[in-house]
Amino acid sequence: MKPAPFAYYAPETAAEAVSLLQEHAVDGKVIAGGQSLVPMMNMRLARPTALIDVGRVAELAGIAVEGGVAIGAAAKQARVLREDAVAERLPLLVAALRHVGHPANRARGTIGGSIAHADPAAELPAVAIALGAELVAVGPDGTRTIPADEFFLTYYTTALGPDELLVEVRFPDPGGSRAWGFREVARRHGDFAMAGVAVTASCGAGGTVESARVVLFGIADAPQRAAAAEQRMVGASPADPALAAEVAAAATAGVEFASDPYVSAAYREDAVAALVERAVQESAKTMEEA
Amino acid sequence: MSPGSGTADVNQQARPARYTGERIKRLEDPRLLMGRARFIDDLGVPGMVHAAFVRSPHPHARIVSIDNRAALALDGVVAVVTGADLAAETAEMEVGAMLNGVEATSRPAIAISKVRHVGDPVAVVVARSPYLAEDGRDLVRVEWEPLPPVPDVGTALADGAPLIDEALETNHVAHGKIEIGDPDGQFETAAHVCRKTFKVGRSTGAPVETRGLLAECDAGSGAITLWTSTQMPHLTRTLLAPMLRVPENKLSVHSPEVGGGFGLKCHIFPEDVAVPAVARRIGRPVKWIEDRWENLSGGVHSKEMDCEVEVALDADGKMLAIRGAFVTDGGAYSSIPYTPLIDSGCAAGMLPSMYDVGHVAAQFDAAYTNKASVGAIRGVGWASGQLARETLLDDAARQVGIDPVELRLRNMLSSEPQKNIMGLSLDGGSYAESLAMARDAIGYEEFRRRQDELRAGGRYLGIGFSPFIEPTGMATASARAAGFDIAYFDSATVTVDPDGTATVSTGLHSHGQGHETTLAQVAADALGFAIEDIRVVFGSSDSQSYGMGTYASRSAVVGSGTIMAAAAQVRARLLELAATLLEADARDIDLAHGVAHVKGAPARGVTVAELAGFGYFGYDARPDDVQESGLTATAAYDPPETYANGTTAAVVEVDPALGTVDLQRLVAVEDCGRMLNPFIVDGQVAGAVAQGVGIALLEDLAYGEDGEFLAGSLMHYLYPSTTELPRYDLLHIETPSSASTGGVKGVGEAGTIAAPAAVVNAISDAISPFGVSIDRVPVTPVYLRDLLRGAGR
Repeated sequence: MKPAPFAYYAPETAAEAVSLLQEHAVDGKVIAGGQSLVPMMNMRLARPTALIDVGRVAELAGIAVEGGVAIGAAAKQARVLREDAVAERLPLLVAALRHVGHPANRARGTIGGSIAHADPAAELPAVAIALGAELVAVGPDGTRTIPADEFFLTYYTTALGPDELLVEVRFPDPGGSRAWGFREVARRHGDFAMAGVAVTASCGAGGTVESARVVLFGIADAPQRAAAAEQRMVGASPADPALAAEVAAAATAGVEFASDPYVSAAYREDAVAALVERAVQESAKTMEEA
Repeated sequence: MSPGSGTADVNQQARPARYTGERIKRLEDPRLLMGRARFIDDLGVPGMVHAAFVRSPHPHARIVSIDNRAALALDGVVAVVTGADLAAETAEMEVGAMLNGVEATSRPAIAISKVRHVGDPVAVVVARSPYLAEDGRDLVRVEWEPLPPVPDVGTALADGAPLIDEALETNHVAHGKIEIGDPDGQFETAAHVCRKTFKVGRSTGAPVETRGLLAECDAGSGAITLWTSTQMPHLTRTLLAPMLRVPENKLSVHSPEVGGGFGLKCHIFPEDVAVPAVARRIGRPVKWIEDRWENLSGGVHSKEMDCEVEVALDADGKMLAIRGAFVTDGGAYSSIPYTPLIDSGCAAGMLPSMYDVGHVAAQFDAAYTNKASVGAIRGVGWASGQLARETLLDDAARQVGIDPVELRLRNMLSSEPQKNIMGLSLDGGSYAESLAMARDAIGYEEFRRRQDELRAGGRYLGIGFSPFIEPTGMATASARAAGFDIAYFDSATVTVDPDGTATVSTGLHSHGQGHETTLAQVAADALGFAIEDIRVVFGSSDSQSYGMGTYASRSAVVGSGTIMAAAAQVRARLLELAATLLEADARDIDLAHGVAHVKGAPARGVTVAELAGFGYFGYDARPDDVQESGLTATAAYDPPETYANGTTAAVVEVDPALGTVDLQRLVAVEDCGRMLNPFIVDGQVAGAVAQGVGIALLEDLAYGEDGEFLAGSLMHYLYPSTTELPRYDLLHIETPSSASTGGVKGVGEAGTIAAPAAVVNAISDAISPFGVSIDRVPVTPVYLRDLLRGAGR
């Protein structure tokens, strides 16, 4: 439970961090809250030779609420949870954050760290997709913006290049008539999900769903949208009592659920059906309240 | 400061007439809660180096070669020591047959020719820091020849199975059978027969402080000093000395502060031999702190058992006969000193528990597999057997159509002292009373009404009960009653110091149980001292008060008996001293709260400080027995059988779609005889119940079919925290033991024995509309969904 040797860098600007990352692109690793990386290093499952700690980069820790919400990649999860303006605009993010570990983990864990780590059972990647977030990365060639939809490739693997640094997560303005639902099942509160779902929907003037996202997580190598379920929601009335069960039935169609030594694919499929139904019901309720 | 002369009471409470029975706050808490307690990893000695163990990644493999050159070349690595290196300097670790039918076994501390489970040690790397030791560990190249793994009992006992211990020529390391009356005849003619197969999973204690060792060897004398996180310093010395080839008087075992034990730390482990042997070999003090992976993969496991139980009932639901067969998956080695029979043997011995049944057959077995050894963890095999029997009785109640509480009440023994069918000398209790109390406290009738209403709306609540008896105060009598051919010795020494304070030393230990408080309560009452003038010391084999340590719910009983006996001798001498000073007859002296006076004349008193000063320095004015023996006495006590009892009840709601269980309510009724301190009893019960909830729902030291270990971190070995536990109701019945000194019984394991079956019965009750019943623990969401899917849900 002691890590292998590594060099430690504590840059104070994003530019400095990117240049260090370039220098250590092969086996360097960015560390922020360290809630996933440090245990992996202590168990010697991860052996980075250089750690670039972005915890002192002030420009990465900001939270800007202006229409949308822009959260610096190194902003602590606990701080985001305390921001009323974020809670007002992004209730889904707040609901999901409460499932991320425990207060001690969230006191150090960061929004960007969880997203860049890309654990397939983590909540924040799914929420980023459900909210249509854009992920801002800085590399040697400058800045680029990656839609969350295209960011998560497979287990612990993202679209970030080895010398790119995630600097900001931009959540677009959710607009007025936005519904959401979030459900997961974990062995204990705060554990990684055995399966989960984040749902968002926007309704038009007629009260029917104009667009919807149903994002499953903890089910395979990366979070994924359940396209058939989303299609079923579009054009429907959230108040339709049959809707949730139909969306749930559609959500499992065509999805390849993964099996591992702890959770079977059959369980994940059952759980997703139940969770999607409940999340859609919850989203109808949030719509009513709005 | 003048002792006993009005110093502030430690608890700022009015001074009670007697301390025992009072809710005295724990005297050890200030240093623990302020982070000032010193555990093994807080200790250091000059010149100390650090050990890391090279361990097997394979469940079963031959060691072809070990190449330590790269490790030795790393700057900071001091030595690499293998099993072959230690073979000449240590003896094999032997464990004898605790019962007829059990194989005696022996093993080297560090594997030499082959490894038998993931985590089995094969070499020790010693370096200047723990980091460097792990760097060196990673550089040791072991060439393995993997052997076919034996991942379960079925494989182990099949014809032609690969042998785990080739010296034994079998994997079937233990077998025994008990038959009383004519159970088979009863089963043939009974109105009702109910059968159940139940699989109990693997769990362990997983204390916050893992194991740890610091050893140094005096080059001049060859004496070894070992600091170790153990529950039993004297017994560790006795068992370890021959393995290290030193006489007992050249081995000092210290266990200063122990951060939780749960039975894990009442064993002798390979590292206990290896670390001091390496320190002696290299001539430097060596420290090793076990990490969590090592703790989970290489400590002891517990409770994995295949149970087959059946009960025969007459038309009225009266139990006629019970049969049980219990097979422990014993893991790769026999744990020292208990062997895997601590599980299946205990399950068999308690099969009828507190039920009045005239015919019993119980069979117990243990097999070697390629897993970590099974040892004595809180609740031992009693918890597994309780699960099998109590879930069987709920199934039987459903089958026969009798309420499960009523079925149990119809079959309980009376609460009077008596021998039960297994020959256990029950010392009185409250069997039916505790069940009735739990039933009433949880609001049984009201619950049944609410359950029906909610079921109609598609919500599935359930209730479960688990009455139990538990052998406590484990010593010679109770061990032999359980069929274990072993003997115990425990003693305490009470010394009144020259200033009138008292020091009580005991061979017991304390690692969460609060013995510094409860044993001080006992001593204060027995001597007639103020509690703040008592200090309880333990944790060193250099203490003259030999004892077997703390485990098996034994310390309240053994501690009371030993301390009361020793204190009585010292108190008699104090009364003689007072009689001399007060010019009265010793029979007319009162001694309480540190002041002695002639009965009826409280104004003319002498303090214990004065008595002690006289006792030490009064030369030939002192009574003869004080001149001969001073103010110290040592007494031994080997208690008779004592059995605590009680009932745990649980309410759950099952979410059938997710297979999750919401534990909503727990009631634990405990009867541990005369309570020394109800505050501490509550803590013991609350913690033990939590551990039982873990066994029922969460904890699983799982191995894959290929023998791969799947629970090597606390991400996968899940235990309950406060967020998983509901409100508890902790209730007490106090039936003094008819047998033990002071009427005291033990309490440490009760909740762990009882709670799993209560929770499982509640789940089975909740899902009973689907026609299925739980047949294994832990009840994971995946398992529960599989069960319900199979039932068409």
